[in-house]
Amino acid sequence: MKKVKTIRTKAEFSARDFLVKYGFILVTLISFVSFFSTQDTFRLSTTFFSMLKYTSVVAITGLGITFSMAVGGLDLSVGAVAGMAVTLSAMTMVIYDKSAIVAVALVLLAGVVIGCLNAFLIVVLKIPDLLATLASMFAIMGLKLVPVKGQSVSSGMMMQDGTTAPGKFTDTFLKIDSGQLGPIPYAVIVWMLLTVACWFFLTRTTWGRAMYAVGSNPEASLLAGINVKRYRALAYILSSVLASISGMILASRIGQGDISAGNSLLLDSVAVALVGTSVLAMGKPNAWGTALGAFLIGVVITGLTIAGFPYYGQDVVKGAVLLLALVFSFTLSRKKSRFISAV
Amino acid sequence: MKAGKIRLLAITTAALVLTTTAVQSSQAATKPAPFNAGPVKIALVQNSGAGDYFQQWTNGAKKQATAVGFEMQVYDAQADAAKQATDMETAIGSGVKGIIVDHGNADTMCPGINKAIDAGIPVVVYDNDIRKCAPRAVFTSQSDEALATAVLGQAVKDLGKNKTVGYVNVLGIAPLDRRHLVWLKITKAQKWTQKFFVGKFTNSVATDNAQLVDAALKANPKISAIFAPYDELAKGTISAIYQNKLQSKIKVYGIDISNADIDLMTKAGSPWTATAGTDPNAIGAGVVRVMALKLAGQQASTVVSFPGVLITAKFLKTNKIKNMDDLRAKLPSLSMSKAASADWIPSVTF
Repeated sequence: MKKVKTIRTKAEFSARDFLVKYGFILVTLISFVSFFSTQDTFRLSTTFFSMLKYTSVVAITGLGITFSMAVGGLDLSVGAVAGMAVTLSAMTMVIYDKSAIVAVALVLLAGVVIGCLNAFLIVVLKIPDLLATLASMFAIMGLKLVPVKGQSVSSGMMMQDGTTAPGKFTDTFLKIDSGQLGPIPYAVIVWMLLTVACWFFLTRTTWGRAMYAVGSNPEASLLAGINVKRYRALAYILSSVLASISGMILASRIGQGDISAGNSLLLDSVAVALVGTSVLAMGKPNAWGTALGAFLIGVVITGLTIAGFPYYGQDVVKGAVLLLALVFSFTLSRKKSRFISAV
Repeated sequence: MKAGKIRLLAITTAALVLTTTAVQSSQAATKPAPFNAGPVKIALVQNSGAGDYFQQWTNGAKKQATAVGFEMQVYDAQADAAKQATDMETAIGSGVKGIIVDHGNADTMCPGINKAIDAGIPVVVYDNDIRKCAPRAVFTSQSDEALATAVLGQAVKDLGKNKTVGYVNVLGIAPLDRRHLVWLKITKAQKWTQKFFVGKFTNSVATDNAQLVDAALKANPKISAIFAPYDELAKGTISAIYQNKLQSKIKVYGIDISNADIDLMTKAGSPWTATAGTDPNAIGAGVVRVMALKLAGQQASTVVSFPGVLITAKFLKTNKIKNMDDLRAKLPSLSMSKAASADWIPSVTF
């Protein structure tokens, strides 16, 4: 390592390192400024906050992915869990006529249960992460449709026995997405709080450091006396809980138990967690990186939508941004990334 | 495919030229405010702009928007309900004079629609029944009653009273439910005996329903006609009829029209006798005209429905119609240029 350093010229060295470290932030800034200067609508503060609000769902799910990636795996069931949260909260309020608090509690509980189930499959039954969560993804997507007979749950819907559903999405529940503190929507506040909490947990507590250790080298961690199984289990439980929280925000935004909700969430949230690894040359999944990755995707999607780009064009740009970030963290970086072997 | 694209390009160019001339020739009629002072900004908040139908719809909407003097910002949520709600908020904040909402869930869109109206931005909604939760918005739709009445009227003419018939439909989907009501009325009035009622909604409607209709036909081969009020259902029905070699005995009445449908109807010996449809381009344009009328203070009613047109296989065959473009040329009523219009609104062609 030292030898290499001496051979390189100083200028070359710093330009490359600068790109690796700040390249992603630069891309975000450039996208933001270019939309800001060309699109009138993009300049409005209402656009900015509705963009953050839209991003919060992907970002919070991405935080969950960050945990599963930190322990060297990947949780493919997050989108399905969020979708389950949408249907479950709709059922609780519309069909069983319960309050928002009951719905929130049930959804969080369901998140914990599914997380435990994933952990059981991976840690106890020793099924590889990707395969286990792929299976649970399909199971959850199917299971959530059983009690509602495959139909979206909406206020005043016709039930199987011909009566109308007694409840509706309560105003309190709808406030999760539509409410705001000053100009800042609640959903964005939740996102920020969770990001800070996850950052603190992952970097400032022994638990979080142990998770990274497990992810980078499970054998060494085991020899160092870390309970590898426990940390891997914890990561999947946190991942499911975060996904169920984002599902609640989604349900509050849609205002009905849309059965297709959450379907597109998996790929987007993996993308934001992945690009997050390149922020500040961290080389590993991290909370702020995920937040920034989600922000960039939000800027790109909102900006391109306002500019009237067709949806397939948006996907091309999203893919290109992802590639660029990966070039920063894999091609240019001298640090070896060991965390995302699963992908 | 390539030839189709080139043809499409040629037609688009031709239509564009026509549109421009239409705009120029109509300058005579004085435009009311706010159209007399430069382009008026509006937004189109779509649930999905993808797929054959929606592309045509958007195309028609864009053409009419340009012709009438709108600067229209299009938001496409890619069938993501949550994104459509966010787009609505962005649109409200963007300072547009009016917002058109195309499809979506009523529960999801109503809060945003009401917010827009509270902020003084009129909203026109297409095919998303918000009449209960946002009664101040203008609700537009294609008239399913008119479509079903038109095609079943032809069936009554062809068949007469006291016939045995089959029925393929899926209940629980709003437009199909509305067509169902017309079917109930007409079967009762004509004393038709319904021998079977099958149908399910899946990811591949045509294939899956062919199986159901096949089974139903095996049990009831002696019927005179089948009503399948949605083109995918009609496609499934037809393939089941071919499978049972009953095409000379059973007539099929469908609803909707597309290039693929025209192809099926004009095939030699096709059982598909008549359909009723609208041109998605014309509907998109019509909805934009409603917005123009609304902004000019000339749209008092909050419900607008666009009628459909009866199209028989005989008409298609005698006029040698091969696709939608031929049909538009031979059947001008498909363009509905008189529906929801005024003399200061230039009509467009597609």
